[in-house]
Amino acid sequence: MTSTGFFDPLPRVLVTDDFDRGMSGWLDLRPNFVAPGFREHSDDIDLIHWGPTMLSSATFAFGGTHGSAQGTYSLKISSRAAAAAPDQPPAPGSMGLAIKRLAVPPRTRRVRIEALVAYKAEQDRPGLGVNDVRAFGLYVDLQDELHRYMPGVRYVNAVAGKPVRRWQFYSPTDVTDEQWSYGADGWHKAGIDPQWFGARQGDGSTVATTWFADGTQHLIYNESDDKLNWTPLSLTVNLETRAYEEFRVGNRRLSFPVGAHPTLAPAYNDIEGLLNPVFFVEADTDRRVSLFVDSVVISVETGEQS
Amino acid sequence: MKNFYTSVVELRQRFDAAVETHPYECGWADEAIFFVETHDFSPGSRLTLRVQLSPDGIRWLDEGSELDITCTGFIRVKHFGGFLRMAGRAVDTEGRPVPVTVSVRLALKG
Repeated sequence: MTSTGFFDPLPRVLVTDDFDRGMSGWLDLRPNFVAPGFREHSDDIDLIHWGPTMLSSATFAFGGTHGSAQGTYSLKISSRAAAAAPDQPPAPGSMGLAIKRLAVPPRTRRVRIEALVAYKAEQDRPGLGVNDVRAFGLYVDLQDELHRYMPGVRYVNAVAGKPVRRWQFYSPTDVTDEQWSYGADGWHKAGIDPQWFGARQGDGSTVATTWFADGTQHLIYNESDDKLNWTPLSLTVNLETRAYEEFRVGNRRLSFPVGAHPTLAPAYNDIEGLLNPVFFVEADTDRRVSLFVDSVVISVETGEQS
Repeated sequence: MKNFYTSVVELRQRFDAAVETHPYECGWADEAIFFVETHDFSPGSRLTLRVQLSPDGIRWLDEGSELDITCTGFIRVKHFGGFLRMAGRAVDTEGRPVPVTVSVRLALKG
């Protein structure tokens, strides 16, 4: 593990992904290509044109190679140059998402996802692009014998070019499956894939997000589109209660309301026990934006049921 | 053991005019192959794509290699620095620009 002082893992470390050693099992989040002609399983919104994930040296025109927190490479999750209005479904290509697919070990009680991140607009024009990044975040796809659920946090950086700089978390929704997937015949259950489903509102919220009460935070974007400050994130989820436990970011520890949890959807077929963390980034304008991720650490605490 | 990674840089992506694939960072790799597949391409149409290099992912220069296909094809690239993409256009039998839908898979090793 590199940069160990940034991380505070639970007792059993499952993986430590230093991107100087390769992609480490992270890849683009894409739909299921199980329809005739290898088409995607549903076409309620365009899920096949998100930007590609890559190993980045964070190299820029004027600063040269920035490198990662320790070493040269980080995981770069990129959008394409596209965005929809904030109260509309995401435009094709307006996001980038990277996923890693694991499974929950026996007797797991808590899981923690930690990483170092930085977010940037592409330095393709003069000026400062901070308000071209709408949001970035982290969630984890989980399923036990009863429920599939996706706890996650999202930093709403800017909406329609205006700074927001506020954290929210995925929370329960009571909309129907059909309403959840923008009126399409619901293959998706309400609450699943909150990063792109669930009606969006003009302030950056959705039907399945709740703002942290103490969630306003001016993260370090820095003063230029080519300067990265590696910032630690840590999200802890209790698998026994399916509830949020803790979220740390930078020098802050944000408080979840007691018992806060995401939407608990019915279990899906053939995915019980999955442990799939996902990082994502969203563009606010027709400009490519990126989330750089370094040294992801995934850890658990195991023991008898409490 | 070497690293290997294939990115589906473009998946069934329609380009109405100029084709420019997403800027791809691959400074870690020693060699690359672009696999290009056209979808529902009209008979007689041709797709011509040039390999391009960049110092920063913004400013692009032709590498010198070119792929000219009517259906599918691939092109090998070596010694390319930090960024790769393909750029070009599709034309019909009369040489007029036409839209094209492509999948581009970039296989990297190093």
